[in-house]
Amino acid sequence: MGTIIIAIVIISGVGAFLATLLVFAERVITNYGDVEVDINKGDKKFTVRGGGSLLETLTNQKIFIPSACGGRGTCGYCKVKVLEGAGTLLPTEEPYMDAQERAEGIRLSCQIKVRNKIEIEIPGDLLTIREYSCTCEKIIDYTYDMKQFNLKLVEPTSITYTPGQYIQLLAPAYEGSPEEVYRAYSISSDPANKSGIELIVRRVPDGICTTYLFDHLKEDDTVRVNGPYGKFYLRDTNAPIIFIAGGSGIAPIKCILHHMKNTTIKRKAVFFFGVRTTKDLFLVEEMKQFEKELADFTFIPVVSQPEEGSDWHGATGRVTTVAEEFLKRMPTVSDCEGYLCGSPGMIDSAVKILADLGIPEDKHYYDKFS
Amino acid sequence: MKKSPQQDKLEALLRSSKLSACGFLGEDKRSLWEIIDADATELERLGRTREDVAARMQELTDQAVPALGDWVKVGKMFQVCVDDNRGMIPCPWPHAVRCLKRITTIHHLKTGKTVRWSDLNIHLIKEHGFFEGKGAPFRIEPKDLVDSIFAS
Ligand SMILES: Cc1cc2nc3c(=O)[nH]c(=O)nc-3n(C[C@H](O)[C@H](O)[C@H](O)COP(=O)(O)OP(=O)(O)OC[C@H]3O[C@@H](n4cnc5c(N)ncnc54)[C@H](O)[C@@H]3O)c2cc1C
Ligand code: FES
Ligand SMILES: [Zn+2]
Repeated sequence: MGTIIIAIVIISGVGAFLATLLVFAERVITNYGDVEVDINKGDKKFTVRGGGSLLETLTNQKIFIPSACGGRGTCGYCKVKVLEGAGTLLPTEEPYMDAQERAEGIRLSCQIKVRNKIEIEIPGDLLTIREYSCTCEKIIDYTYDMKQFNLKLVEPTSITYTPGQYIQLLAPAYEGSPEEVYRAYSISSDPANKSGIELIVRRVPDGICTTYLFDHLKEDDTVRVNGPYGKFYLRDTNAPIIFIAGGSGIAPIKCILHHMKNTTIKRKAVFFFGVRTTKDLFLVEEMKQFEKELADFTFIPVVSQPEEGSDWHGATGRVTTVAEEFLKRMPTVSDCEGYLCGSPGMIDSAVKILADLGIPEDKHYYDKFS
Repeated sequence: MKKSPQQDKLEALLRSSKLSACGFLGEDKRSLWEIIDADATELERLGRTREDVAARMQELTDQAVPALGDWVKVGKMFQVCVDDNRGMIPCPWPHAVRCLKRITTIHHLKTGKTVRWSDLNIHLIKEHGFFEGKGAPFRIEPKDLVDSIFAS
């Protein structure tokens, strides 16, 4: 017994010594000193202590590159163009790069280390992204699986975004999910209110972030978000507008409708909003209010499977089928722009219908996230 | 069997909740390879291959996708519903595969049994023979799955 204990003590001691040696060696050997990071040919330059991943280095400088796997090299979202200083493509990056990306010097920023001067190119709008600390001011229950979260900005105290864009929300560690993750949510609020944002979220079965939002987040808690991101916004034309959304997809469209009201945009617009049962309907009164306040706006809620015995008298069927029937009767439909937000299945189906109606594909707008 | 550093890394990712709430291994104490082995043996006993199973799962999902979240009757035996959510979830294995966060629920009208899977489950079964660890929220028991999807 005694011998075993002595052996354990010796092994532990040797282990601890080796670990200390390793930490020391890492500090000495991997001491890259100060290195320069140059973004977009001198648009932004800074010096950092070398050794960290490019993603981490940029995040520390409050430059937010999209990422969905927390830097583990499994989502492939964190691509940036490296002009100089990243060495050759790593085996961990290879599966994520096609031939064109390889030729252009695209890299996974979470995989490459900043060891010497590095020059990168990123889309200019990523440089305007900020991190916001907020307080969850109010949580509104809309349906059994849909809630609205009103976040008040604490630091910085105001945000500017293009109506239709989204933010990334940080779900911190909680019981059963010990690691923090970011998820995207469209801003649904009135963009005139710059001191806060509202999000409409649907619970996803066993989802990391929605479980946090629905079961753990309380009013007055602190929430961290960064953004804004995305290219889903109202184009500056006079074309009539077709909005098609399902469930939480109403969020960015509501924001765009506020914007149309604030800026007295008088374009003709029709909004098909699909849900499954009448219990899934929400924000109907607010949409009816927009019908009164906007110059030429029609709201068409569509229920696909109304409950037996319900007194639903509105449009019934799949939202895209109802939209197709309605739009077929519109003489100038091919002049319209289509703004789509919802599940990928709904978007695929809506895109097909808009194309069949003669609306060119470059007039279909939606957030792609494949 | 000695594991490579890559295998260790993969197993650590699967145990973590980085990609999936509660992880892919649940409370299962077995190694990833033991889990995959045991389920492969069970599948063989049931007379099915992982390719058959994944193909049938995909077929049921595909039939309900056009209904955009409504329940549809598939054949005489099933009611199927595909609930599509925005966003993609990456496969934890080191390759560039991302799946929709889409859940298929099948309800067997005769037995009353319900089984659910996500698109990622179909990929994990087909490509990696992985049904996930016991206690993981998306673990599917091969026997329950085979009994349900091939029932007539
Ligand atoms: C641009 C954009 C805007 C968005 N805006 C909104 C919005 O306004 N409102 C909104 O509600 N949502 C929005 N989303 C979706 C949102 O970002 C999240 O994807 C969603 O809330 C689910 O996140 P989660 O962390 O709860 O789920 P996750 O934990 O990321 O995913 C859960 C799902 O992944 C699959 N899965 C997880 N683990 C496993 C496993 N072990 N095995 C098999 N399958 C598994 C299942 O399908 C499960 O249901 C948006 C997404 C994008 C890209
Ligand atoms: S952050 Fe996911 S691959 Fe880099
Ligand atoms: Zn895979």
